[in-house]
Amino acid sequence: MRRLLSPRNLIFALFVTLAVVPFLANKYYVFIANLVLLYMILAVGLNLLIGYAGQLAFANAAMFGIGAYGAGLLQAHFGVPYWLALPSGALIAMVSGTVMALPALRLSGIYLALVTLAFAQFTLWVMSHWDTVTFGAGGFSPPRIDFGPLPLTQPNGMYLLSWLAAAGLIWFAWNAMGSRIGRAFVAMRDGEIAAQALGIDLLRYKALAFALSGFYAGTAGALYGGVLGFVGPEGFDLLQMVLHKAAVVMGGLGSIMGSIIGAVILVVLLEVIREFKATMEIAFGGLLLAFVLFQPRGIVDLLRRKLGWDERLHYKAGPDQTAPSEPTPAATRKPAE
Amino acid sequence: MSAILSVQDVSVSFGGVDALADVSIDVEPGEIVGIIGPNGAGKTTLLNVICGMAQPNKGAIWLNGTLITGRKPSAVAGMGLGRTFQSSQLFPGMTVLENMMTGLHLASHAGLFQSAFRTSAMRREEARLRAKAEAALDFVGFRHFADRPGNALSFGQQRIVEIARALINEPKVVLLDEPAVGLSINRVAELDELLRRIRKEKGITLVMIEHVIRLVMAVSDRIVVLNSGRKIADGNPVSVRDDPLVIEAYLGAQAHA
Amino acid sequence: MEAGGAGRRRQQVSQMEMFSYLIAAGLTTGALYALVALGLVVVFKATQVVNFAHGEMFMFGGFFAYSFHAMLGVPYVLSLFMAVACAFAIGIVTDRIAFRPLMRSQTLVSVLLAMVGLSFIFKGIARSAWGSSGHHIAFPPLISPEPIMFLGLMVMSQELVVMGAAVVVMVAFALFFKLTRAGKFMQATANNPKAATLVGIRVDRVYMYTFGVGAAVAGAAAVLMAPITLLSPDIGFVLFVKGFAAAVLGGLTSIPGAIAGGIVLGLLEKMAAGYIHTGLEEVSAFVVIMFAMVFLPTGLFGLRGVRRV
Repeated sequence: MRRLLSPRNLIFALFVTLAVVPFLANKYYVFIANLVLLYMILAVGLNLLIGYAGQLAFANAAMFGIGAYGAGLLQAHFGVPYWLALPSGALIAMVSGTVMALPALRLSGIYLALVTLAFAQFTLWVMSHWDTVTFGAGGFSPPRIDFGPLPLTQPNGMYLLSWLAAAGLIWFAWNAMGSRIGRAFVAMRDGEIAAQALGIDLLRYKALAFALSGFYAGTAGALYGGVLGFVGPEGFDLLQMVLHKAAVVMGGLGSIMGSIIGAVILVVLLEVIREFKATMEIAFGGLLLAFVLFQPRGIVDLLRRKLGWDERLHYKAGPDQTAPSEPTPAATRKPAE
Repeated sequence: MSAILSVQDVSVSFGGVDALADVSIDVEPGEIVGIIGPNGAGKTTLLNVICGMAQPNKGAIWLNGTLITGRKPSAVAGMGLGRTFQSSQLFPGMTVLENMMTGLHLASHAGLFQSAFRTSAMRREEARLRAKAEAALDFVGFRHFADRPGNALSFGQQRIVEIARALINEPKVVLLDEPAVGLSINRVAELDELLRRIRKEKGITLVMIEHVIRLVMAVSDRIVVLNSGRKIADGNPVSVRDDPLVIEAYLGAQAHA
Repeated sequence: MEAGGAGRRRQQVSQMEMFSYLIAAGLTTGALYALVALGLVVVFKATQVVNFAHGEMFMFGGFFAYSFHAMLGVPYVLSLFMAVACAFAIGIVTDRIAFRPLMRSQTLVSVLLAMVGLSFIFKGIARSAWGSSGHHIAFPPLISPEPIMFLGLMVMSQELVVMGAAVVVMVAFALFFKLTRAGKFMQATANNPKAATLVGIRVDRVYMYTFGVGAAVAGAAAVLMAPITLLSPDIGFVLFVKGFAAAVLGGLTSIPGAIAGGIVLGLLEKMAAGYIHTGLEEVSAFVVIMFAMVFLPTGLFGLRGVRRV
């Protein structure tokens, strides 16, 4: 039974279930399931950056937006077909995010936080003010996406694409984090100095973490524009940023499975309270705070203990738990000398 | 140029205070060199300068005949320099085995896509790293801790794993910053034995800062004494112990303290 | 010929007026950024944490003042003190909820995430209490909105009041650290928390008051600013980012640096808006921050306090 409920099997079962949704459910539920797929990509991508590599950044919603605008504007202005606009949007997000963060990666985390905050605000401003290019605050509708010769409507076609992207990107992240790349990320998060002493080039791996999370968010954004049939600046604001963070923290920092769980919970909650901005702020701000305070390892940790999962939970405990038996130097030097 | 590690006239100052002034040390291959000195003598600064975490204002450092001053710490590590730290630096978010495998970062080459697609080359490499990591744990007798989280070990055990992790990639020189700090008497004896075995079985050169004088006197071939950023003695343990300058530095420091 | 000369002169006068207007406006905005930065610096020096809910202290200060003054009819100066007291209390709440329980057991990332969460709770509360209609709230003007001439410059009289009051707050702040026991404790703790513990200072309590004092300054800034701008639940975040930028420009640990950083940022914003494009006022600060990270990573004065990796 425990074997059966391993994270791998559960993810597999979840994706099989998600694959049959369009055949069974009505349009509304297909849309919700599609959002679940997109938020999985967003949460996993952000978790690579915050949970694994330990880089606290605030530009994830902006990358999401850049992906959406990048793909949508290529379609709208230049008539680029969607199959080309989608990866282009993801790449634009990846490059702009990495270039933005590069100078701050040399400095300590506080500066990275500031630069990413400023970049997020700047991006939002460009989206809502550069009318001739971005169509301003009102947003725009990218052209309809034609899936011919496949017999697919736009919603179903977008759903299929999102399913493929989510499955592929989750698989990619799962494997990459289980390799020397993942170990380098976690080493960097848990101790920059020791990581350097083992030959891990911090700048290179921080940039890689940014590039990856930018690519994930950009992919989600480029898909989001097609799913919604609309791109506007208000979807990529601070609240969006906190939604991503809440999903990652609720699910579990440093766990791919956790981000999948977090994304599902997030979308369900969003559907319940979507109408009221103040309620959303209090609810998701509150969840973020409550999880950091009371369940910092996230929901995945509870499940892990119940089901005996073997996914390595790359969670860094704070100094209190790091070395429970660590004696103070003053007390320990005596017997030695 | 027979020295494996050569520190030439290195000076470092922070805000007008000389942390190191014209320090020169040559370390021969296979030597164990102990660095001692009162608090604030510049011992840790010396280690930081050697491994690239601090830059000297003056002077140069060669590792195995290659100039390493001015390089990034990760690059210096890549040229064959290992290091441990005063406070334990095991990665708490990884198991002991993963910590050891991280120590083999430079000995592995799978890129992002090879890793994500789990190519057969990548899987072979992982298997090789795992075997090597297990062998390195065997060397210190800690194989049974392989799957424990890094932070589940006692402080003394973490220190040993950290030393094993610094050795795993077969560096030419390993710098140890107070390996015995916080260890009980029994553990210090084990450490003594481990350091001798490292030299004997692996032929790795060790440079260590140590406050536990008995340990450093027992295992070192040579002892360098620093005081206020200057080298005041350099020789075999017995001659250093009887050196009036050294006695004066220690007694002086105690008298002031 | 004569007419042309007069025209040129008129043009020169209007350019001079424009310049003086921009300087005054820039100094006023800059003083506000400086006040926000001040609170961030004080908290950072003591705790090594940037209070991500700091902007919400500002926002709450403004809304409380609005409630007391415009809704309940409390005199302006009295409502200022009441709002500052409320902001102080909210600063303490921030410490108790998002900092103290985490400072020893968790990583910096956790503390910052908790503060981000708390700031959204604050924002949501403010939105349901004051901003449910989604409109900005205008604070009643204090004095006549007519411009006056001051030292040969044309200034809005309200701006003069704001700048004067900002200077008073900064001086009071400096005196608090120099003269009061609590201020000295805070300074001692910021310089060396271990030594402070050894001499019997209760560090936890000092951190708590540090958060309170930081928030109180932000609250004061909000009350001063309220009459010349509009209040909204989202204003806190914008002010936070700009205050944060001002603090970083000043080196993050220096109080004079934070003040200088704030003024530089305020002037840059107004100049960019006046001479390049009005739309740039909102965004120039963010561009400046990004460039500053590339060219001035240690702040305007190359102060220490930047921890390189």
